[in-house]
Amino acid sequence: MALQRTIRKLINSQNYLLPRGAAFLHSHATSFGFTEVNEEEKRKLVGNVFSSVASNYDLMNDLMSVGLHRLWKDKLISKLGPFPGMKHLDVAGGTGDIAFRVLESIRGVSHKAMHDSFAETEGQTQIFICDINPNMLNIGKKRATERGYTKNSYLHWVEGDAEALSFEDGSMDGYTIGFGIRNVTHIEKALAEAYRVLKQGGRFLCLELSHVELPIFKELYDYYSFSIIPTMGELVAGDKESYQYLVESIRQFPKQDVFAQMIVDAGFQAVEYENLVGGVVAIHSGLKL
Amino acid sequence: MARGVFSLLFRTGIGSGSGGGGGNGDVFGKLLSDILVCPLSRQALRYCPDSQSLISDSIGVSFPIINGIPCLVPKDGKILEDQIKSTGNDDSAGADSGI
Repeated sequence: MALQRTIRKLINSQNYLLPRGAAFLHSHATSFGFTEVNEEEKRKLVGNVFSSVASNYDLMNDLMSVGLHRLWKDKLISKLGPFPGMKHLDVAGGTGDIAFRVLESIRGVSHKAMHDSFAETEGQTQIFICDINPNMLNIGKKRATERGYTKNSYLHWVEGDAEALSFEDGSMDGYTIGFGIRNVTHIEKALAEAYRVLKQGGRFLCLELSHVELPIFKELYDYYSFSIIPTMGELVAGDKESYQYLVESIRQFPKQDVFAQMIVDAGFQAVEYENLVGGVVAIHSGLKL
Repeated sequence: MARGVFSLLFRTGIGSGSGGGGGNGDVFGKLLSDILVCPLSRQALRYCPDSQSLISDSIGVSFPIINGIPCLVPKDGKILEDQIKSTGNDDSAGADSGI
């Protein structure tokens, strides 16, 4: 008994003996980019970043990714396979890009179905956009109105915390988080919540900036990230620090394999990931079986 | 065929757009019974149109609705003071707000 206690103390005192995932989680919760912060601070700082970038968020995405983020999001939706009548949750969905695509995809499916038989379940489609930042949600809601998505109340905007979701257990057919999990303080809590709210057979999908390993491309990407992006942030949004945080937080986020293991640890099965643009982004997916 | 027509009518009845006001009550009512719960207790929420908030009766906490968006972040919850509710449970708030 005493021996077991001693061993446990030894293990707990040496981080490198813990599974890689756990050590990473601690450092993720206390890192704001390359700056060390305490956990409570991190959430506030990230909150400030997104309140600041909200009004230029979509424009900056287009500039920084040269429009590629649109294709990445399209790819995410094709992996999701939306269907009429589904209940979908998009977390950190702020300005609505992913939710709008889910809606458009379902409409596309419904129109095809209607040629054969009347799509009765379309009325039950519910897409929830959850974000911790009200500024981002307000912008998303405005965009939805501009695009005419408000007619049938398919979209619902909710301010909430990815680590403590306000949805019933097993209520969602799909869960997506696009460029959001990097900003969460406790990744494992967000993953656990994702698992909780998904129905059996539900699909988890995460689109996130990830790690590039290809030799020369990596150097080019680093140069672009650390020299060009913060400058762009300064010129376009008048906010160099937020974009500095952005590129640093990408480097601090666990690598593809480690993150995949975390998703497995949360209970998901058939976990896999696909690199896009050599690892600049990765789409991780899993199923709740 | 008839069912399809009914569902069309039902949809146009509920869809009131993005503005605040009476229409949202129907939408929230439907959502609450189906999917939204208190992020702290995971119990059902009650929509209160007067204070524009969602009440978690199980723990005596209220969450505001701002610009038609429910704010269900745990730290946004306000513990209910002695409020005389229409149901008459005026001393329940103090007793069971134990998080």
